[in-house]
Amino acid sequence: MEKDRKEGIKGMANPGRYGIERVAYWLMRITGLGLLVYFIGHIYETSSLLDGKAAWNSMLELTQTTEGHIFLALVIGMCVFHTGNGIRLMIAEAGFGFGKARRPDYPYTPSSLNMKNKLCIYVSIGLAALAMMYGLGVMYDV
Amino acid sequence: MMSSIMRESHIMKIHYLTALVAVGFVIIHIMVRVMQGFSDSLLFDNVIANYKSIPYAIVLEAMLILISVHGFNGLRIILLEIKQGRVYENAVTYGCLAAMIILIAYGSRTIIMASMGMV
Repeated sequence: MEKDRKEGIKGMANPGRYGIERVAYWLMRITGLGLLVYFIGHIYETSSLLDGKAAWNSMLELTQTTEGHIFLALVIGMCVFHTGNGIRLMIAEAGFGFGKARRPDYPYTPSSLNMKNKLCIYVSIGLAALAMMYGLGVMYDV
Repeated sequence: MMSSIMRESHIMKIHYLTALVAVGFVIIHIMVRVMQGFSDSLLFDNVIANYKSIPYAIVLEAMLILISVHGFNGLRIILLEIKQGRVYENAVTYGCLAAMIILIAYGSRTIIMASMGMV
């Protein structure tokens, strides 16, 4: 704890500490920001419809490349992880999956950081990877 | 400050509710694309036909509003986590609110014009 305070915000932000929960904390924020950027881009992209067929087709060409497909696959992955982990957080905030309150005994393992929550995070990551593969399959007509 | 207009607990409920409803609409949006065949569904005439379908246009408008509210409130939460202070919090809250309104207006313009055939 003392080391944390000395490190300031860097200590709090360190994803290598506190296990998968801290990684999920960061992934939730990174995927959220990524999806917001994509959403703004998507609104701009679809507005090219109003400039006619040529403008729409030239805008669409940007996504019909290997880089475009990789970007869209990342968006799918971000969307699935953000949804899965978001549902876990909603359930946790409702008070479920935390374990029962008990006397703090050595080694003071917090009951809230349990296997159920960890499993949900790993499942969200796994589902995101599967969705990315499915998305790439659809985009490449496999 | 937003919290003086609405309690943060209410804002979080809106945040969660918009997320859950938006997921349902996004599933419909993706299913429409996949069922038409992904490449074919993106052809100009198909996309215009989608917009001219009133129920689908309503789905798009609802999705635009829900995701904008959720997205910009999420951004507000992240920015308020980094730094606190009356002036900063007001700037973040009203900045996010303004950006949300601009995005909804811009997206609505596309939906309304395309669905009315003004292309």
